[in-house]
Amino acid sequence: MKSTTRQRYALGLLSLVTLVVAYTLVSNAYRVIDPASLPDALGGLLRPDVLPPTQAVVEAFRELAGGSGPPAAGARVQVSEQLAGLRREGVTLPASIVITTARVLFGLAVGMPLGILVGFLMGWSRKADDYLHPIYVLLRSVPPLAMITYIMLWLGHSEAHRLIPIVYAVAAAVVIPTYHGVRDVAGRYLVAARSLGARGRLLLARVVLPAARPAMLAGLRYGIAIAWMTAVGAEMLMAENGMGNLLVGGGMWSTRLQTRTDPAVVMAGIITLAGAGWVMDAAARVLTARLTRWQR
Amino acid sequence: MASILPARWTRVRRAVVALGALALLYGIAAAIGADRLPRRIWMSPHYVEDVELLPTYPSLAYELGFLVESGILAGAVAVSAGRVLAGVVLGSIIGILLGLATGRATRLEYLTDPWVTFFKFTPALALLPLFVLWFGYDEVSKVLLIAANVGVVVLLGTHQAVRNVPGVYLEAAASLGASPGLALRKIVLPAAFPQVFASIRVAMGLGWVTIVVAELINPRMPSLGYLLTLAGAYPRVSTMVVGIGTIGAVVLLFDMLALLLHARVTRWMGRSA
Repeated sequence: MKSTTRQRYALGLLSLVTLVVAYTLVSNAYRVIDPASLPDALGGLLRPDVLPPTQAVVEAFRELAGGSGPPAAGARVQVSEQLAGLRREGVTLPASIVITTARVLFGLAVGMPLGILVGFLMGWSRKADDYLHPIYVLLRSVPPLAMITYIMLWLGHSEAHRLIPIVYAVAAAVVIPTYHGVRDVAGRYLVAARSLGARGRLLLARVVLPAARPAMLAGLRYGIAIAWMTAVGAEMLMAENGMGNLLVGGGMWSTRLQTRTDPAVVMAGIITLAGAGWVMDAAARVLTARLTRWQR
Repeated sequence: MASILPARWTRVRRAVVALGALALLYGIAAAIGADRLPRRIWMSPHYVEDVELLPTYPSLAYELGFLVESGILAGAVAVSAGRVLAGVVLGSIIGILLGLATGRATRLEYLTDPWVTFFKFTPALALLPLFVLWFGYDEVSKVLLIAANVGVVVLLGTHQAVRNVPGVYLEAAASLGASPGLALRKIVLPAAFPQVFASIRVAMGLGWVTIVVAELINPRMPSLGYLLTLAGAYPRVSTMVVGIGTIGAVVLLFDMLALLLHARVTRWMGRSA
């Protein structure tokens, strides 16, 4: 057990290091080879303002870590437009990630139970499935980010138009795995359990819930991924804080996605998001291993 | 066959009842709200005039009539559906292949884990500026954005599905002398299928969610995503409702086709009720 854990981290680290080294080499190739001499498709990619060198990403991290204050006199002050804008507004990485994490956690806390409940109902009862499924499919097809303006019309400029899309996206994502888990997986054991005389609460607690649990936990992991996606998307469009705001460089709503982006800042933001997501996913993974131990 | 037909009719009848009830409730709400809801709304920087918070059926019908008659809607559906399908197919193929590989070979899972994590928690919108820089303003960026978003979901689903195949099956097959290829075809694929399928259904829904974002790249008119963006910018609720309703209808169609396929492929599996 211990050696496999060690192997997991060793191999993960190995591939990570390989990737970073390879990327550093490729992104710094413009220093050695003139991109203009290469064919267009390749030369266009090798420019530092398209593929930022690793140093630039590290620099963006340092700039955004906060606490650095205004640049020291004589320091190289050639920061991109996006970075300059973020500094002017006092946006830092730690503060942004905390806010986004809070929104994601809210979305999961409210959306998961809702989605599991609906999925469970639909998987358990054929009648509920027949009535609810068409409505579910209709509702699910509403893109969460398209709801933002509509929610703003009703509730004004508030936290609601960031949180409601996340809750809704998580709930919609969790329904289908739960549904399939209860109907297809548990259904198989159900026949046996019924023929042995189990019914009511016993059937639910001892047969259906354990059998559907792996699918529900898979749903939790979809849910986490989708919560992050929606949270950042909503923040990019309409929020004055959080990771999404950082990625688009702050500023007014109307100018968003139109300002010149600095790929180094975007990459620093994405790496931070991936790190935070990984921590949350690791927690879900531990939970999965613990709750499905009987399977092994 | 004779016993299946009535059951199917019951399903259709119930679906009609459910959707009809929803439509009726909405109609009542819209009729009550038509005179009472404010039409002039403060949206932080300025007032928005003439907003229908709950558009009534006549105004929806007018909007739908206009969008259909002008050919905007049909063109938008064709273009967007093509992009979603291309993205979902591409993403699913990559996701299933990778998921099968990582589900079976633990070392490969460890190797790919950091990359999968990286993509998994990267929201489509965050990738947008990078994709535009790297792949240009054309179709490629849009399809790849959907594929990247969808591929991770299918990969995770497939991986989990392969992991959930009881070890006993594989051990029994191995002790009977089945080759790994045979075990894959006869045991892993059938056993993993339901969960892989569930993840593709989620991916399809996600693909339609992503298209709204993907079509912010070089926005051109025949596309549902841009139609929704424009409706949100004005804001014009009746156009939003028609656009979202169209997406809903298309998703419903795709989902029904998928379920039909699912029922056909898994006919061998016993199912209760």
